[in-house]
Amino acid sequence: MKKFLTLIILSFFINSAMAQTGNPADNVVKFIDQLGKKIISIAAEKSPDEVRKQKIIAEIDRVIDSDWIAHFVLGKNYKDATDLQRTRFMDLYRQFMINTYGPKFKNYNGKRFNVLSVDQQSGFYVAKCEFVPKDSDVAINVQFRVKERNGKLVVLDFVTEGISLIETQRSEFNSAISEKGIEKFIEDLAVRVKELKAKK
Amino acid sequence: MTKKIFITLIISFIFSSGPSLAQIRNISEQQSYDDEFAVYESEFSTNTQKEIYDPFEKINRKIFAFNESLDRNVVEPVARFYRDYTPKPIRKSLHNFVTNLALPISAANSFVQGKVENGLATSSNFLINTTIGIGGLFDVAGDKNIQYETEDFGQTLGYYGVSNGPYLVIPILGPSTSRDFGGYVVDRGVDPMGFNLLQIGGSENSVNLTLRATNTLLFNLDLREGLLDPIADARKDSFDLYATFRSVYIQQRDLKIKK
Repeated sequence: MKKFLTLIILSFFINSAMAQTGNPADNVVKFIDQLGKKIISIAAEKSPDEVRKQKIIAEIDRVIDSDWIAHFVLGKNYKDATDLQRTRFMDLYRQFMINTYGPKFKNYNGKRFNVLSVDQQSGFYVAKCEFVPKDSDVAINVQFRVKERNGKLVVLDFVTEGISLIETQRSEFNSAISEKGIEKFIEDLAVRVKELKAKK
Repeated sequence: MTKKIFITLIISFIFSSGPSLAQIRNISEQQSYDDEFAVYESEFSTNTQKEIYDPFEKINRKIFAFNESLDRNVVEPVARFYRDYTPKPIRKSLHNFVTNLALPISAANSFVQGKVENGLATSSNFLINTTIGIGGLFDVAGDKNIQYETEDFGQTLGYYGVSNGPYLVIPILGPSTSRDFGGYVVDRGVDPMGFNLLQIGGSENSVNLTLRATNTLLFNLDLREGLLDPIADARKDSFDLYATFRSVYIQQRDLKIKK
């Protein structure tokens, strides 16, 4: 009996290890396909807005590498920031991202989501996808830029019709910081996060 | 004994003056992120995105504020009214109509860039939609999946290596660059639906002025209606709307030129 149990546990680990070590591009296809379809299925649920919003927020929080993105969008200001400012920014940025895009994606009820291709570019994966909203026949081209970190796939950027979310944010944040300074910018970010969280 | 003191001194020196383990971890994490950012930027960032050339930012911001005020008070309410009170099939037909009228200039730019296939696809769209599509009201070519990319003279200049030049905000028209604004003037100058300086059709006024003005108004109404949601989102989310528009504009133009 003990041997049998050991065998089952072993085969389970071997299976999951094999799944992880399969073709990396196939893993990315699977990862993004599941993510896109999960978001669409949550958006299509009949549950109250707040429930859908919280589910999407949890999903986004699970897949994004918010530390990497926060670091990227702070750009040249990262080096000038104090340790305390960096820590506060990282934490606020994560909350800003999930609370800004959670409510938006909760309305992404779609007819179709397909991963068209995955290319590898110097350690990053680019998943090209199409999304067809429920009330339209026109496909929207979206790209997810993905990286494997510590054996786990994470999303670094979301590109809609050629517009990169993190590049746009970096440009916007750097401009705002050079106008009013990083301390004031972090204060504004904190206020925004508070407002986003309070919004039903 | 001396050896012990010596080792103790070295250890205490390392722990007192050197970086802590946490600091070492932070430094190595920072280094690894910096390396990744460098690779990421070389793979994905547009050249202009890294350092957008905006020497007229001060005056640009003033014009941007003027445009914003005009848009919020006049243009956006008109576009919203148009969306709310015009049935979708009519809006779609209007979109097809104004898009179709812009195709000859787009096709010409494709040919100038040597993109013959795209030029032919664009011309086919124009011919099919103007005839079978009843003056362009119906996108028959699109339904037959004849795909094309729009081109303008700014893109043509970019294709032949002309850089963006300074970023500009043009009163009423919005974001541009010196290259793209020059391109816009050329396109409008030769277009029979614009100023028709080449006198296509016999004279500069081969298309009635009222028709040309109406076409320009409808084209921009259709464009603004299509941008109602993204612009509303940007206004809500952005910490610096001017910088957001600038970044989005530059990214879009670079992508179009690369296509």
